[in-house]
Amino acid sequence: MSALSRRAITSIFLRSFLIQGSWNYHTMIGTGFAFAMLPGLKRIFDDDQESMDASVRRHLDHFNAHPYLANVALGAALRLEADSTDAQTVRRFKTAVRGPLGGLGDSLVWAAWLPAVSLTALALWWLGLPGWVVVGVFLAVYNAGHLTLRIWGFRAGLRDGRDVARTLGEARLAQLGARIQSIAALLVGVLAGVVLAGRGGLSEAGLPWLVLAIVCFVVGLFGGHRVWRPTAIAIVGAIALISAWGVLP
Amino acid sequence: MELALIALLGGCLALDATSVGQFMLSRPLVAGALTGWMLGDPALGLLIGTVLELYLLVSFPSGGARFPEGTTATVVAVATASASSAPGALPVAIAIGLVWGQVGGFSITALRRANGFIVPEPADSRADARRVAAAHLGAVGLDFVRGALITGTGVAIGRLMILRLAEAWPIGERESFALMLAGGAVSVGILLHDLGGFRERRVLFVAGLALGIVGVRLL
Repeated sequence: MSALSRRAITSIFLRSFLIQGSWNYHTMIGTGFAFAMLPGLKRIFDDDQESMDASVRRHLDHFNAHPYLANVALGAALRLEADSTDAQTVRRFKTAVRGPLGGLGDSLVWAAWLPAVSLTALALWWLGLPGWVVVGVFLAVYNAGHLTLRIWGFRAGLRDGRDVARTLGEARLAQLGARIQSIAALLVGVLAGVVLAGRGGLSEAGLPWLVLAIVCFVVGLFGGHRVWRPTAIAIVGAIALISAWGVLP
Repeated sequence: MELALIALLGGCLALDATSVGQFMLSRPLVAGALTGWMLGDPALGLLIGTVLELYLLVSFPSGGARFPEGTTATVVAVATASASSAPGALPVAIAIGLVWGQVGGFSITALRRANGFIVPEPADSRADARRVAAAHLGAVGLDFVRGALITGTGVAIGRLMILRLAEAWPIGERESFALMLAGGAVSVGILLHDLGGFRERRVLFVAGLALGIVGVRLL
């Protein structure tokens, strides 16, 4: 690790925020991974341009993970390169971690943390808090978790290298995600309550609208994701029909 | 001038969705507030942002999934609604935003295909640090241009449509808002489905419902 300066490590961490910049169906975030690694590889290989280019090409390979938890692989790959680990081991390591880092990140962040914070912000808005407070709370709370995960993942990878899988297991991120999902389920109820009973809410609009909203909720509850697009089309269609009704003489 | 500024804002916010940071500045709630603030009507921006956040609660940039672009939908909806004070401005702008969000989603798919041609092949012996950095940053720039163009076009079309449609909107504001909320209720249902479904989460959901109703009455 002595080859890596604090400046190079900071630069790699900052570049990790752009890791999805060239997302494509061929190598996914492979180019972003190599781009983030560049300051470290330059330090590690110093004057050996040929080895440096070969290492850059290796990191261009297909890679995908949750963008925040990709930092775990980024830190660990950097550690392996700094320790002069052979190319095959680095490649095998990246192949082994990409699936778990994707699944874990999706269930922790997209399926738990983001909905929980969004639901909180929406409920606060319906409770009448000023808009700037609602947006401020949303950004501050969400990014507290986001940045903590990025920093923790990068440091854990850099510290543990190939052994980072054990650190990931000990962190019990899946259990944390499950706990946040329980809180999110409570918040779904809170949001439904404030939208039903709040000022300008459904209870003030009249019974037909309340019934329509409950039917829509039940359709979503039992239909899952496959009903989202048809419902969006139905809403747009209803608005178009109502508009046409108004426009027609 | 205003259209250009909105397009630039759309480009910047679109970057946050996938390419740069993912600080969630691109979520409808934040994008709506920022667009409203830029156009001098933060309350309208936040209202539309809140409704679209409700619709897009279950839409997130997970892996390679094609998703409606919430940022474009929101910026277009707010900028379109701000061009009319008619009672139908809100629902018509939200409908235009939802349609344009799909267009934004398709443009993301096209951009990702294009990126496949821009990025250097791992097997290419000419791929070096400079080419990797140029390709990667070029793709980020392309995403910005895509976001700005899609947003600018959407606002231009939306503002042309709303002047005719919103004026003739035949139902009241309260009913219009209730229609928007009913649509959003589908996403809330889908979210509960994703969180384990009613049977597994009924105690938490009902407790939350009671808490929400009591909270509203107390505040």
